[in-house]
Amino acid sequence: MIELLQNLGRWLTSGAQWSGPDGIATRLLEHLQYSLLATLVAAFIALPVGLLIGHTGRGAFLAINLSGFGRALPTVGLVTLVFLASGLSMWPVYVSLVALAVPVIVTNTYAGMAAVDPEVRDAARGQGMRRHQVLLQVEIPLALPLIMTGLRLACTQVVATATIAAYVSFGGLGRYVFDGLAQRDLVQVLGGAVLVAILAIALDLALASVQRLLFRHRPRPSRAA
Amino acid sequence: MNRRKLLGGLLAGASVPTLAACSGGVTSLKGDGSGGEGGGSSAGGLVIGTANFTENQLLGYLYAEALRGAGVKTSVRPNLGSREIVIPALRQGDIDLLPEYQGNLLLHFDDKAPQTQAGDLQNALTVALPTGLEALSYAAAEDKDVFCVTRETADKYGLRSFTDLKKQNGKLVFGGPAEDKNRVVGLVGLKNRYGVTFKEFKALDASGPLVKGALKKGDVDVANLFSTDPDIEANGWVILADPKALIPAQHIVPVIRSAKADTKVRKALAKLGVALTTHELARLNKLVDKDKKDPDEVAANWAADHGLTKK
Amino acid sequence: MTVDWGWFPDHRDDLTTLTLDHLSTAVPAVLFGLLIAVPLAVVAHRVRPLRGVLLGLSNVLFTIPSIAIFVLLLPITGLTRTTAITGLTIYTLTVLLRNTVEGLDSVPAKAREASMAMGARPLRTLLTVELPLAFPVIMAGVRVSTVMAISLVSVASYIGYGGLGQLFTDGFQRDYPTPVVAGVILSLLLALVADAVLVAIQWLCTPWLRRRA
Repeated sequence: MIELLQNLGRWLTSGAQWSGPDGIATRLLEHLQYSLLATLVAAFIALPVGLLIGHTGRGAFLAINLSGFGRALPTVGLVTLVFLASGLSMWPVYVSLVALAVPVIVTNTYAGMAAVDPEVRDAARGQGMRRHQVLLQVEIPLALPLIMTGLRLACTQVVATATIAAYVSFGGLGRYVFDGLAQRDLVQVLGGAVLVAILAIALDLALASVQRLLFRHRPRPSRAA
Repeated sequence: MNRRKLLGGLLAGASVPTLAACSGGVTSLKGDGSGGEGGGSSAGGLVIGTANFTENQLLGYLYAEALRGAGVKTSVRPNLGSREIVIPALRQGDIDLLPEYQGNLLLHFDDKAPQTQAGDLQNALTVALPTGLEALSYAAAEDKDVFCVTRETADKYGLRSFTDLKKQNGKLVFGGPAEDKNRVVGLVGLKNRYGVTFKEFKALDASGPLVKGALKKGDVDVANLFSTDPDIEANGWVILADPKALIPAQHIVPVIRSAKADTKVRKALAKLGVALTTHELARLNKLVDKDKKDPDEVAANWAADHGLTKK
Repeated sequence: MTVDWGWFPDHRDDLTTLTLDHLSTAVPAVLFGLLIAVPLAVVAHRVRPLRGVLLGLSNVLFTIPSIAIFVLLLPITGLTRTTAITGLTIYTLTVLLRNTVEGLDSVPAKAREASMAMGARPLRTLLTVELPLAFPVIMAGVRVSTVMAISLVSVASYIGYGGLGQLFTDGFQRDYPTPVVAGVILSLLLALVADAVLVAIQWLCTPWLRRRA
């Protein structure tokens, strides 16, 4: 056990391990690229949907239950299906990661919008604000904390799941898990797992700091979904 | 880190006795109750494990049929994972029998083994396998690792054998399972025996959809495939010749826990081994992979047709 | 990409076996998660300094990719269902711990005080007042973790215990979409049914909420 941890420490800190096409630096960047791109695309799709549902109140049923559906969808199945349809490309990876992130962002965005006090909305309209002004100047700012929480949650889940890229021959930190097993190198498997966890936590902390900085003066939100 | 291990250990400890009762079939670290002295007994039934490619599952079901015909109870656990997963499972007793391949199996336990001929390999295996495991009679059928290129690549670079690859050193991309990077039957052997080096190695899979897709697309130039894979013929891929005998013979060989190997089992599997030729195995692979027939059905029909079981 | 719909009825038996196999990995994972999470949550709830540590630790575990956990457990628990269940339990545990703590947090202090004032000892208060009141939030956690467990079982196909996930590996290996589609549909259905069952259980177990509605 101790020996395993020592070897892990050596693996994580050796210069040789960090350089080269299979080095930690490369794999980290690849993993980061997959995760951030997928989260951004998901946000691009999910934010308007969540905002629209929250603003109009129509389709609330969808918003509430979408995250349940997203959670139930087996990622491995989706990856395999897209792979069989599109062959050796990044499509299986990105489709699955986006499919994972969209429900989380939609549900949290909707929850944020739904939590806006209707009296505040009324007051804004009473002041003569038009619909889009209410949306942009009142609803979104008030919903922002929960929206940010949704983005954080989605990002963390995407980072943890981006290991599947290696399942369809691409890079990222998942390479260490799959190759480590094939090469009977438990240290490599452990190293990959630890690095994914560190990356996920680091990103979460970074986004949390952003959240804290933006909402210094607001009360802390509670999580939805 | 310690905490997590402790948690895992706690969970495992709590689960094992409870789950041994309700999981049915494969229980874990205790092994089996039957003897262990000399003879071995298949009285309690055998658990056949298979690795994560369709041919191995087919073989597993064929073993099950052969044993069933001899009156031995079996259950098949298909698609358990790669060799790195199933061999330890065999040693621990989570499974009892595994269809394997002589050459690669030997190299798994002794990566310096020089044997390449079937008979020599069988003897070497008897020595190399750990106590408690045994290699039974090998089948006529063989499924070797082959390194293939597309017809276009072969014509473009004039590639007919491994020696021809040396002329393209540093220019071609090699694709295969991750372990090829460090294997004698892989990059290491190609370098040492033929002086061949590649521009890049892509860790894909063992003659699976990833490496075949990459070969088709041109993402890799040389691919490590299995000789009985129906896609080689279907795509007109060229198998490079191996004049210096780097790749050892790979007859199908049942690996079994000695405790379960009694005369009934030995004879039944030997009978199967006589009937199963490379040609037949390739034909069965095609039925499963190309015609999408179920491996257990294909195995049952074949066994009945060849007198291993009664119809 | 075509799906052979005739494959489904032909493979009724196999699909049933795989579904039951799937459940026999997912259900124990949730049960064990609950078994461990509830006592831990009580500790986290009562002992302030441990709260952060326990919640933090479980959050860290949650970020470890499931495939890695299964592979790392192999040398410890072997190639058995135990490995799959243990790995899944780590994830259900995280969700259940978080929800149970939240649930206990949501119990109004007055309710606890009233119970103690009537002479009930802490354990009795816990069992007869706090946990029942925290039940809805805990059940929400059970629902989330059940659906999550059902979805994650398929990852264990990498070590041969993926239940319906075995259909994914098979389809992947043979370039055959039909079993993959079957696996996805059944997996979703299973999650839907399980969630509905849990909602029904929750409804049955909380008559006081029913009366108010």
